Amino acid sequence: MMERVKTFFAAMVAALGLIFAAVGAASAAPLRIEITEGVIEPVPFAVPGFVAESTGAEEWGARLAQVVADDLTGTGLFRQIPASAFISRPTSFAAPVQYADWKAINAQALIMGAVAVADNGRLTVKFRIYDVFSGQELGKGLQFQGTTDGWRRMAHKVADAVYSRITGETGYFDSRVVFVSETGPKDDRKKRLAIMDYDGANVQYLTDSQSIVLAPRFSPTGDRVLYTSYATGFPRIHVLDVGSAQSRILESQSGTMSFAPRFAPDGRTVVFSLTQGSNTDIYSMDIGSGGAQRLTNTPGIETAPSYSPDGSRVVFESDRSGSQQLYVMPAGGGEATRISFGQGRYATPVWSPRGDLIAFTKQTKGRFHIGVMRTDGSEERLLTASFLDEGPTWAPNGRVIMFTRETQGASGQASLYSVDVSGRNLKRVRTPGGASDPSWGPLQ
Amino acid sequence: MHIGHYISGAGHVGLIGWLLLGPLFNSEPLPFEVTNVSMVTEEEYAALVAAEQSPNATDTAAQPPAPDVTEEAPPPAPREETPPPETAQPAETVPAPAPEDAPEPAEDAPPVVAQPEDTPPPAPAPPGQEDVAVILPETSARPQPRPAPRVAPEPVAPSEPDVQVDEQVQPEITPDESATEETPQDPQEATAPEEAATEIVTEAEEPSGAPERSMRPRVRPRAPAPPLATETAETPEPSEDTNPTASAVEDALAEALGGGTEPSAAPSGPPLSAGEKDALRVAVQGCWVVDVGSPSASVTVVVAMQMEQSGKVTPGSLRMVSSEGGDATAARVAFEAARRAILRCQKDGYNLPIDKYDQWQEIEMTFNPERMRIR
Repeated sequence: MMERVKTFFAAMVAALGLIFAAVGAASAAPLRIEITEGVIEPVPFAVPGFVAESTGAEEWGARLAQVVADDLTGTGLFRQIPASAFISRPTSFAAPVQYADWKAINAQALIMGAVAVADNGRLTVKFRIYDVFSGQELGKGLQFQGTTDGWRRMAHKVADAVYSRITGETGYFDSRVVFVSETGPKDDRKKRLAIMDYDGANVQYLTDSQSIVLAPRFSPTGDRVLYTSYATGFPRIHVLDVGSAQSRILESQSGTMSFAPRFAPDGRTVVFSLTQGSNTDIYSMDIGSGGAQRLTNTPGIETAPSYSPDGSRVVFESDRSGSQQLYVMPAGGGEATRISFGQGRYATPVWSPRGDLIAFTKQTKGRFHIGVMRTDGSEERLLTASFLDEGPTWAPNGRVIMFTRETQGASGQASLYSVDVSGRNLKRVRTPGGASDPSWGPLQ
Repeated sequence: MHIGHYISGAGHVGLIGWLLLGPLFNSEPLPFEVTNVSMVTEEEYAALVAAEQSPNATDTAAQPPAPDVTEEAPPPAPREETPPPETAQPAETVPAPAPEDAPEPAEDAPPVVAQPEDTPPPAPAPPGQEDVAVILPETSARPQPRPAPRVAPEPVAPSEPDVQVDEQVQPEITPDESATEETPQDPQEATAPEEAATEIVTEAEEPSGAPERSMRPRVRPRAPAPPLATETAETPEPSEDTNPTASAVEDALAEALGGGTEPSAAPSGPPLSAGEKDALRVAVQGCWVVDVGSPSASVTVVVAMQMEQSGKVTPGSLRMVSSEGGDATAARVAFEAARRAILRCQKDGYNLPIDKYDQWQEIEMTFNPERMRIR
């Protein structure tokens, strides 16, 4: 009997002890808060003019800082704090950062730079990025050297580094776009290939306006451009060397029309459409040997092929189901899977460099849209709407889409626009005259 | 009893008989009106319509004006709600501009003050809208989000141009020279939260009134961790010599009394109320900038920090406890965004009750962008 009583009391004491221990442990746990709602707004940054470290470098310092600021604000993800709001102005690149002064104006990032011009005319640009609110440097300082002719590229490289360190993505500022430059009235439009910086600067023409050119496409390394030309009367695919501006016709059978070319990620294979009689199918060709392989074989029209970044699949448009829809098939051909099921017609699909999305042109209810969807066709989102939007191309980091927008009417003109993949920050790309069919090249 | 049986039997027989034989005595269907329709040619129809049409009718009458679904500016007040003419005298220093259509009063005549009527005048109907079927818009009347550059949980209407951006809404106070010295007024700038919409509005979505896709449902709350499975089958049989109750009690006592473990510093004071936690959450989320197009938008990070009694984060104590989704770079970016949010919004310290400091001296915040991604 006594044994039972002792056991009972011991059990009671143990239970009470356990309760107290549990309560104590719960109280010692940290306070837990879950944040599920944030804000979407540009990150404010400050970029004082780059400090001149040699005589005559003041002008370069201001110009470099301006291009860096334009690059960052142009993304829609950053907001420049005007210099008039600055409390302190750095006079030396090595001077310690007065974080309190930048916090006071709510600058989250501070970009400090310096520039020097050597006697031989070479520029030296160096910069550091600071996270103001944590009071520490983001990464290490970098330095670039180059000629004064390439000062814009150096500024783009600084902006790319800033963008990359803050967002974790690679930038896209030091990249180029090849496009079709258009001049003249709609019924007598002159078209020629042109190349420019991503922001519309440094335009150079690659072909003359003697014949119609269409759909230029950059190679993965940016050294060559594929395009379709009517120089022979029939559409033929040409490959152009960007450095020398020399082009040659890719081999093709006589009596056929070949168009809509695009490089494979390896840069050695080209996928394109070929029309024989009334049937259009997709082929791939090894550029070196000229050997072609038929990838589709249906009575419908298959065109606008685009490789996935790993080169294993191809997305294309086809009307085999009765309306123009998007399909995905293995890179070597085979059974294709339809991925678009919405209302309207889908065209010109392009696989994102990230591999997660496919951009496309959609026509529905009399309007054209640029949209994106997952590679399985899910989560379709339309980003733009206008009288005529078409021909999307991805920025090298898969974050921005550039496309052609044409205005209505006899005096309508084509121009280039860009939009963030989220649908924000729609803006026109500055080009001299009309422009269409952009193809965004790789980061240089 | 018998009478009841007879009545019941008669009733049942009658019911069965009606069910069986009822259809035989069906009455003729009720007569219905029949209108004879004769085919007419287009010319005859046009002649008929022309004869009955009012002389002022126009072809445009069948097209009512499209409803204005834009939300960029507040919609103009409908005509029937137009307030009556102001009878109050305007301040001398700020003369109200005369309406453009106001008739010039006669020089000799005294000014006539229009008296407001009890019932507003009937709104003039648009021309040609009588007896016209109104075509309903395809879009719903759901209010359309504004394309503000800032997307935040709470929509904020655009403020006056000179208003400073601040979390608090404060009216502007200017020193009133006419005020007596007994009631001094400190000058204060007008402040208001920054303009914000609740979701991203793309160019493609702007014309429509309602989204084509529904919001993703909220994340299901995490289920409690399942109890660890014990391999009871392999548990050896207790020997007869041992007393299981006594050993269990001894073990429990030893654990409860802290044998071998450090005594936990149990904080005193009541726990934070839900409102106090919400205040902290709201304070931080206003500074948490989410880049919805970035891979970091798929990363959930847990950030731990030590707090000072002033409500500020102890310098250098912010650290990432864990991350889920995305690669290491995306996790780093997500952590830095969370860190910036916590540090930016603390200003002079978060508003936390000092008497409950033990409860919040250590905080773990989970930044989960799941709901932000679909915007």
